[in-house]
Amino acid sequence: MIPPLAFFVLAAVLFVLGVVAFFVKKDLLTQFMAVEVMLNAGNLAFLALTAGPGRANAQAIVLFVIAVAAAEAVVGLSVIVLVFRRRKSIRTDELRDLKG
Amino acid sequence: MSFLALAPILAVVAGALISLLLEAFLGRKGHELSATAAVVSLLAAGYFIVRSWNLELGYFAARLSLDPLALLLMAVFVVLGAFVILMSLAYASRRDIALGQLCGLLLIALAGLMIMVSSTDWLVVFLGLEVLSVASYALTGLRRSDPASSEAAAKYFLMGSFAGAFFVFGLAILFGTSGSMSLASGLSGGGVPSALPAGPAVGLGLIVAALFFKIAVAPFHMWAPDVYEGAPTPVAAFLTIAPKAAGLVVLLRVLAPVLGRGGTAAAVFGPVVSAAAVLTMFAGNLAALRQSSVKRLLAYSAIAHSGYLLVAVAAGDGPGLVFYLIAYLFMNAGAFAVLTALEGDDGGTATLDGLAGLGRRHPALAACLAVFLLSLAGFPPTAGFLAKFYVFSGAVAKGHVVLVVAAVLASLVSVAYYLKVIMVMYMKDAAADLTIGRDEPALWLVVFLCVFGVVQLGLWPGNLLTLIRQGSSGLF
Repeated sequence: MIPPLAFFVLAAVLFVLGVVAFFVKKDLLTQFMAVEVMLNAGNLAFLALTAGPGRANAQAIVLFVIAVAAAEAVVGLSVIVLVFRRRKSIRTDELRDLKG
Repeated sequence: MSFLALAPILAVVAGALISLLLEAFLGRKGHELSATAAVVSLLAAGYFIVRSWNLELGYFAARLSLDPLALLLMAVFVVLGAFVILMSLAYASRRDIALGQLCGLLLIALAGLMIMVSSTDWLVVFLGLEVLSVASYALTGLRRSDPASSEAAAKYFLMGSFAGAFFVFGLAILFGTSGSMSLASGLSGGGVPSALPAGPAVGLGLIVAALFFKIAVAPFHMWAPDVYEGAPTPVAAFLTIAPKAAGLVVLLRVLAPVLGRGGTAAAVFGPVVSAAAVLTMFAGNLAALRQSSVKRLLAYSAIAHSGYLLVAVAAGDGPGLVFYLIAYLFMNAGAFAVLTALEGDDGGTATLDGLAGLGRRHPALAACLAVFLLSLAGFPPTAGFLAKFYVFSGAVAKGHVVLVVAAVLASLVSVAYYLKVIMVMYMKDAAADLTIGRDEPALWLVVFLCVFGVVQLGLWPGNLLTLIRQGSSGLF
């Protein structure tokens, strides 16, 4: 049997990959996907760290997190569509009207 | 255990649904009606908040508890919500914003804020935070015809959801290693043998970093000036005050017991909070010095104020924090209300040069803005002075002398740019003609109420202080 800690290590690696992708990529959609990877790494960490009898709360919490991520995706994708309609581009290095 | 504990939140959510439905079915005709519905629901929420004072109501096995700290903050949010709606009445139609959507989203954000400040459980705090954040992203992007607004929304959304992911991961580690979701018992062990050494501390660190993002604390503040500048001005007033207040209260609830207990946890988290406070004050104030847009200047000043407020958190000074937040509500909302009035019809925000000669052409408006800026800078006899005085003296009493010296130095720096605005208003001749001939009674009402709040709290803070101290006995 694979020990739960291995899943936590996997989650941590996924989270770090998400963080790296968030900073390396310069594209709203890809950065958003990086955030989704980070969120799901969080979910996996929840399940990995609470494996065992009598810790079923974690699974309920993960359901909450999934619901929140879905709500965020709805608003986030519509914001990205809005940006694309205004500029015909979703590259973040072209988002620089606001600075100072 | 009482269903009444949910009443303020239910009132606000009901108002949100009604205004969104009115907007959906009546279109433009429904704007006034949905704003009225929103204000009525805020009044109802206010009634339930006042009613719940000293009742110590709780629900969901006290995971949602209306202690005095939560009630005071809820009152702040209700007043702020009413201010923002009043400021938007004329602004929304001028800027082609659907007022019903603004009111509905604003009330949903208020519900999230109320959930955040009244919960004692990390999961509930997270849900409240996300309700607030998702509504705020949409609020920021409401000026659909304006590229700056959608750019601000995109930046806010990306950075906000990035911070949210840190929150989830931190929560996973905290819950996985301590087995408890309660705000209070995070670092006290929880009884479960920990799978990782110092696991809860790492989890709590990630969560605190995520909250720092939301409060716009340096070095996590880079998104804030862009978002505050791009958002519609009344929404910017909301964003500079409300998420900050809620995040700081959550931080106070979590960190005050940790820092108060002493030991290793305090030795780790205490310096982190103090360093973040100092960094935030100086980052905000030094960047504000070289701004030419007044809105962006106020955005950086809002960041600097996060730093002053963190001093209160570092000292575990609940009453000082609440008084500062209430004073900050009036002075910042007032400054943004004047800014709303000054915005030209073309959609541009006021620049520093555009304010030249305002003192002669619109003496009343200029005087009000001067009062707000002096209060933000911390001059007596305004509320801002007393707020800073209470927070700083409370911190000195707890032995944070170096921190307070840094804070006083930072406020000295801030005087430079606040006074620069006042000087331009009164001592420079008008270059361009700034016409403010609009008839906006609701906006003037907000400005008047804010001036009243700033002066009243500066001269006679006694009533409010009594209320705060009465509520805080035995709580923080």
